[in-house]
Amino acid sequence: MTSASLVEQEVGAAAAAPTPAARTRGLRKVYGSTVAVDRVDLEVPEGAVLGMLGPNGSGKTTTIRMLLGLVRPTSGEVELLGRPMPESAGITLPHVGALVEGPGFHPFLSGRENLRRCASAEPLMASGSIRGAVSEALERVGLSHAADRRYRGYSLGMKQRMGLAAALLLPRKLVVLDEPTNGLDPAGTREVRKVIGELHAAGTTVIVSSHLLAEVEATCTHVAVLHRGSVVAQGELDELLEAGSPAVVVSTPDVQLALDSLRDNGIGARSEQDGLVVDLVGTTAPYVVRVLVESGVAVHEVHRRRAGLEDLFAQLTESEESGDQG
Amino acid sequence: MNRKRASVTAAVAGTVVGVAGLAVLAMPASAGSAPVLPAVSAEQLVQSVLTTKSVPAFAGTVRGTNNLGLPSVPGLGEAGKFLANSSAEVRIWSDGEGRGKLELPSNSGSESIVYDGKTLWDWKSSDHTVRKSEQSPAEHREHPQAASDPATAAKQIIELISKDSTVKVDGTATVAGRSVYQLVLAPKPSERTMLREVRISVDAETKLPLQLSVYGNGSADPVLQIGFSELTIGAQDASLFQFTPPANATVTTAEPKQDKAKDFPGDAASKTVGEGWDTVLVGKLPTTGATDKSGRSQDPMALLKQIAKPVSGAWGSGYTIGASIGNAVVTQDGRYAVGAVPLQVLTNALEQSK
Amino acid sequence: MTAAVLDRPLRAPLGRLLAAEVRWTLRRPRTIIALAALALAPVLMGIGIAIAGEGSRGGPGGLFGALAGNGFVLPIVAMYMLLPVLLPLLGSMAAADALAGESAHGTLRGLLLAPVSRGRLLAVKAFGVAVVVWLGVLVVALSGVVTGLVLVGSNGLITLSGTTLSVADALLRIGLAVLWVGFQVFAVASIALAVSAWTEHPLVVLAVALAFVLVSAVVSALPNTEWIQPYLLPTGWMSLTDVLRDPVPGTELLRSTVKALCYSVIGLSLAYGRLSTKDG
Repeated sequence: MTSASLVEQEVGAAAAAPTPAARTRGLRKVYGSTVAVDRVDLEVPEGAVLGMLGPNGSGKTTTIRMLLGLVRPTSGEVELLGRPMPESAGITLPHVGALVEGPGFHPFLSGRENLRRCASAEPLMASGSIRGAVSEALERVGLSHAADRRYRGYSLGMKQRMGLAAALLLPRKLVVLDEPTNGLDPAGTREVRKVIGELHAAGTTVIVSSHLLAEVEATCTHVAVLHRGSVVAQGELDELLEAGSPAVVVSTPDVQLALDSLRDNGIGARSEQDGLVVDLVGTTAPYVVRVLVESGVAVHEVHRRRAGLEDLFAQLTESEESGDQG
Repeated sequence: MNRKRASVTAAVAGTVVGVAGLAVLAMPASAGSAPVLPAVSAEQLVQSVLTTKSVPAFAGTVRGTNNLGLPSVPGLGEAGKFLANSSAEVRIWSDGEGRGKLELPSNSGSESIVYDGKTLWDWKSSDHTVRKSEQSPAEHREHPQAASDPATAAKQIIELISKDSTVKVDGTATVAGRSVYQLVLAPKPSERTMLREVRISVDAETKLPLQLSVYGNGSADPVLQIGFSELTIGAQDASLFQFTPPANATVTTAEPKQDKAKDFPGDAASKTVGEGWDTVLVGKLPTTGATDKSGRSQDPMALLKQIAKPVSGAWGSGYTIGASIGNAVVTQDGRYAVGAVPLQVLTNALEQSK
Repeated sequence: MTAAVLDRPLRAPLGRLLAAEVRWTLRRPRTIIALAALALAPVLMGIGIAIAGEGSRGGPGGLFGALAGNGFVLPIVAMYMLLPVLLPLLGSMAAADALAGESAHGTLRGLLLAPVSRGRLLAVKAFGVAVVVWLGVLVVALSGVVTGLVLVGSNGLITLSGTTLSVADALLRIGLAVLWVGFQVFAVASIALAVSAWTEHPLVVLAVALAFVLVSAVVSALPNTEWIQPYLLPTGWMSLTDVLRDPVPGTELLRSTVKALCYSVIGLSLAYGRLSTKDG
């Protein structure tokens, strides 16, 4: 193949429909009698920052491992950078940086030595630039001061930064980060967000998994919510936020009376930390206020609530649970 | 999934190759089709063996295997091991002009015997001793070690038994990588021996006997076999046949004409009864008991009681030891009879020699 | 990143991978400790034999006897004595760390993600193990030579056959022994590598590999096992003393080397079969 025809091919493909950075179809993985992942159809557009959200054990890591060709799916297809996996691992993975299942390094080597060993295995790394790339990656994650200490003595947060550094040794087309803020202090979390932001700005596609909702909301353009091995919602972050059902938050001291009266009128409500949350399903805010006032509930304040991702997450997982039970 | 199958196939194939390699290694080397050689009569073959006077220059390994099925004797150590089923190897070199070298490897070191044409050197690595003796080559041949040379051994056997045996050439085979004729000596039907046949492999080119196998009745495997397991015929490095005692060795000079008979108690008092295949050696054990390594006197009868079956008859009573191709009887009064014959023939011989 | 980069598999240079593997292996504290312990063994043996003096005839392979005034025999004695257990232990340890240990640390995943193809990964690992194995044998031999020359002294090597070899020939014989012992130990290490591909626990690998060696040795010492003996590795280990005979009887040395290679092929095939199909 000449490089000209390749360019043509790429351009042609791009004109028809942009190749997603990652795509899965009907992905299923069974360990023994346990179904870890089932019917997962993901699509990660190029340049997106996808947040994979789900509680522990929801299949996030297994999905990522299948995306990266570490695990062979029981059935279904995986495409990474437009190539089938795991068959094309040799083609795609040099362009992919990943931190999966926590950082893996040798305790008796220094951080710098560990990264040098990782760098030696990177196909796109020129032998002459290993030293510089390692220093740069250490700098980027803020580990330069501890680079020559043994990995054994690193704190949990430092270990996590090392994993991030290994994924960032080279410019990548795709970076996959499995729980990157695990064990990091708030400052560390901010740094990870900053790194993700930089990657996004440079046009790199990022897949980041987390069980911390705020993190995903703060950094992602796209979200996929996993629950019990299946994707229960996915799409652009903004769309998903809009799709959430509108609600009002009512501040009142008479919570029980308010709940009873709303329920009598067929309006769903629940008590939460910041007040009484009333879903505006088949009703309107003025009607809710009128019901409350007529029932003698003291209403201090009513404000419209934008459905946060946390709310969405809770709703989706709760509905899934009740669906399972029903 | 195809790729997975391909790698599993590769792994299985590799494992099979490895196991097959082990199996090939474990297989006896003699397997293979019989070589095609010009026909030769038994008389011609025996004749050519007997007339082949000069042994060519060669290097080889002689392997002896013993499946006599003798009981293992407790308390005899190395010697006991030798009696029970075993095998041993001797490396041998000859320059074709009388000089030669023998090496007897063992797990406890090595013994080398070098004859440089004038002096016989006997080096034992275990205690760094060299025994030096000025012997003529003829005397050298009578050294017990010389019986390890299959040429000599086979010639002796052919001469000894040709008058009581049928001799024929039974096809060809490969021994130590060389084509051989199989000369078979079988006892005539009138003989009472327990031996079925003696098979001598004669090298087609040099007419050297390369292997001697003794078969008993009712057994497919040889009970005794001595022969080359490796043989290279051709000029040998002259330095092999020279010996310089190493720096740390103790050198002793042996007295010439040592009385070897002393080493074999009872031999002086023995005689043979019968002839040919049925020859029985009859004699009397020395009255003094043998001594074991620690110098403690051992009663041979006590030892026999442990390993032998008691028998009795008109000739007296005693103990017998049976092997797959022969028997031995020791009587209570210390007489013994040994032969490749059934027990009955031994006891008859004892009666005759009373 | 240009459009052309996604057209074919990319691989890191093999030399760089091998160098990184060896560098990592030799910096591992337990490798260093094991090599130091192996270096000490011939010294202790030399001192022990020197103290025992002339009374120490016989010994394994009758080699102690051959050692008197014959320093170049010590490295062979040392290899002979370390071959049944300690050298296989070193090889198994390297093999255990190579796959099971890396797997337990999560570093194997990093290599697979680089990516290093699984076949290549096994080749690199086998190379690293081989380096440790031959280095270990070489350390024993060198320590043996030095100890032998210091404690016993020598003007050359007196062979079991009673001939005297020059120093150069003696070193050649010792080199031959190092090569041969390395093949034997690598055969055990290959089996260990196969086990190492199946587990995440390095100790399991050590236990299985040692059991393999010891059971083989016990079986080969049992009576009535002649049919299985040609298949067992330790059966051929006696032939190490053949390098001290003159001329060297090559048959048994060669046969046991081929046997060791067969075991290596089996071990590496099994390791490849597991490594290429298991989840990373």
